[in-house]
Amino acid sequence: MPVADEVKSSWADEVEEVVEDIPQSNEVFENGFKIVTEYRRNEDDKKEKIVRTYKIEKRCVSKPIALRKTWAKYGVAAGDKPGPNPANTVVGEDVFMQFITSKEEQDKPDEDVLDKLKSMADKTVKCRTCNGDHWTLKCPFKDTGYIPNKAPATPATEEKRPTQVEDKTKSKYIAPGLREGGGKRGETMSRRHDDSSAAAIRVSNLSESTQEADLEELVKPFGDYNKLFLAKDKSTGLCKGFAYIHFKSRSAAAAAIATLNGHGYDHLILNADWSKPQHNN
Amino acid sequence: MKPLMLHGHERAITQIKYNREGDLLFSSAKDHCPNVWYSLNGERLGNFIGHIGAVWCLDINWESTKFMSGAADNTLKLWDCSNGVEIGNINTKSTVRTCVFSYSGNLAAYSTDTQRKQICEINVIDCRISDSFGSEPILCIPVPESKVTALFWGPLDEMVVTGHENGKITQWDMRTGKQLNQIDGHSGSINDMQPSKEGMMFITASSDHTSKLFDTEQLLNLKTYVTERPVNSASISPILDHVVLGGGQEASVVTTTSTRVGKFDARFYHMVFEEEFGRVKGHFGPINSLAFHPDGRSYASGGEDGYVRVHYFDPSYFEFTFDC
Repeated sequence: MPVADEVKSSWADEVEEVVEDIPQSNEVFENGFKIVTEYRRNEDDKKEKIVRTYKIEKRCVSKPIALRKTWAKYGVAAGDKPGPNPANTVVGEDVFMQFITSKEEQDKPDEDVLDKLKSMADKTVKCRTCNGDHWTLKCPFKDTGYIPNKAPATPATEEKRPTQVEDKTKSKYIAPGLREGGGKRGETMSRRHDDSSAAAIRVSNLSESTQEADLEELVKPFGDYNKLFLAKDKSTGLCKGFAYIHFKSRSAAAAAIATLNGHGYDHLILNADWSKPQHNN
Repeated sequence: MKPLMLHGHERAITQIKYNREGDLLFSSAKDHCPNVWYSLNGERLGNFIGHIGAVWCLDINWESTKFMSGAADNTLKLWDCSNGVEIGNINTKSTVRTCVFSYSGNLAAYSTDTQRKQICEINVIDCRISDSFGSEPILCIPVPESKVTALFWGPLDEMVVTGHENGKITQWDMRTGKQLNQIDGHSGSINDMQPSKEGMMFITASSDHTSKLFDTEQLLNLKTYVTERPVNSASISPILDHVVLGGGQEASVVTTTSTRVGKFDARFYHMVFEEEFGRVKGHFGPINSLAFHPDGRSYASGGEDGYVRVHYFDPSYFEFTFDC
């Protein structure tokens, strides 16, 4: 029935069929090889030809296996042609078994340790007993009880004791609040911010096309300002609809608010108010 | 080696198994249709349509005529392997976790989960009586302590060995249904148990990052293979003194780490020396099930990524000698 045939494929497939003039895929059997040629369009809309070559092997197997090979496919595979269906069976990339020999594993850490010791030997080998440039273990004074530098040091420590008390204040950790000049309060970021933002106002409901120059023109009559910030969209560069103006004096800011709040500008009614301090955590 | 990637499942593979001759490879996944493939070229023979839940276990009988699958839809189904037709159905009280044909293929054992007040049970059915598929099992052993997570038949079909969620391994006499022996095999859940070719040893895979080789008769711990990740599956080579371990991180933490740290490789250990000698990479997720081909010349792995990969060993694998 012609009608049923038309309805059978989904609309998405139909569109593809109409647009693409891709040759049909075909299979060729050639002296022991099956060559499947497929055409498709890749992401760049270029035609691709995929040629898969399968080697056909004959194997001698036991009867039951041979019998099983003749079974008809069933389930979702019922419609598949003989041979693997490329949609389900993919030959993966070459992988190799990484052999780990136990010898390699044992050798490696040994080398590392030796290297480390060598490099250390170059720099500083210091005996803990006599400060000579050899390992403590190999010290000639080891087990003799004689310690060349330390012997006279014992009485010296006793003399030092009173001075140590004085030094205590220096060497010991002192809390920041107790340090010299610790009485005064530290500056905080928020306080500084408060100072500058005391005369800051926020103007909102600006039109998209507002430029910094327009804003400058708008606020100049009220007095000098320190900083003018017009919020713009990062990607489009258009005004986001609000701006901050930091006036030099609070009175100028107050005057600006009084005038600009409710002022019609570029067919929009502006809102102006004191800028609220930012609430950072 | 160029692995064959079999992509017939939409979700994580739960179990794969070769038939006795190794020409067919069966795979089940958390989607509802187990698949059967020709292992030689990866051609799909068909799939078994009928389950309405995740398929947790499968088995094929000795002659490769009957295929059995147990699923989370509380059914155990028996299929004709030659045409994919359902020939038997058993409604269970909870999810079927494991199912295994006995060596003769006359009996089959399956275990159900501890679920919704339903305690775990080991059931044995006789497959010869086609009516018994659907009627009461011939033997039912309730296991209240810890649910069975792995199961296989011992020699001569005289006993069944089960691995439990709490790491215990138990032998059950199939004539009486009594417990013969129990040991503390692992400290974590036993995810898989596979007997050796002769059935005299079996290997366990556990979440406690180890895999152990046990003697089937006395449950003696012969060897221990230590890794640093949970082991989901392990298999013994039928021809060489090798075992292969597959695992990886828990599926839940995979997304937070790269595949390189994931340790999703199949790891080959020398069976006797307990030392790792080789690794094969490939999966994007943890390996859930592993199986050696009965001829020992290839192996297949099924992963959380939904792929089954069939690897034919290079000659270098057979030439490799283990120096100790």
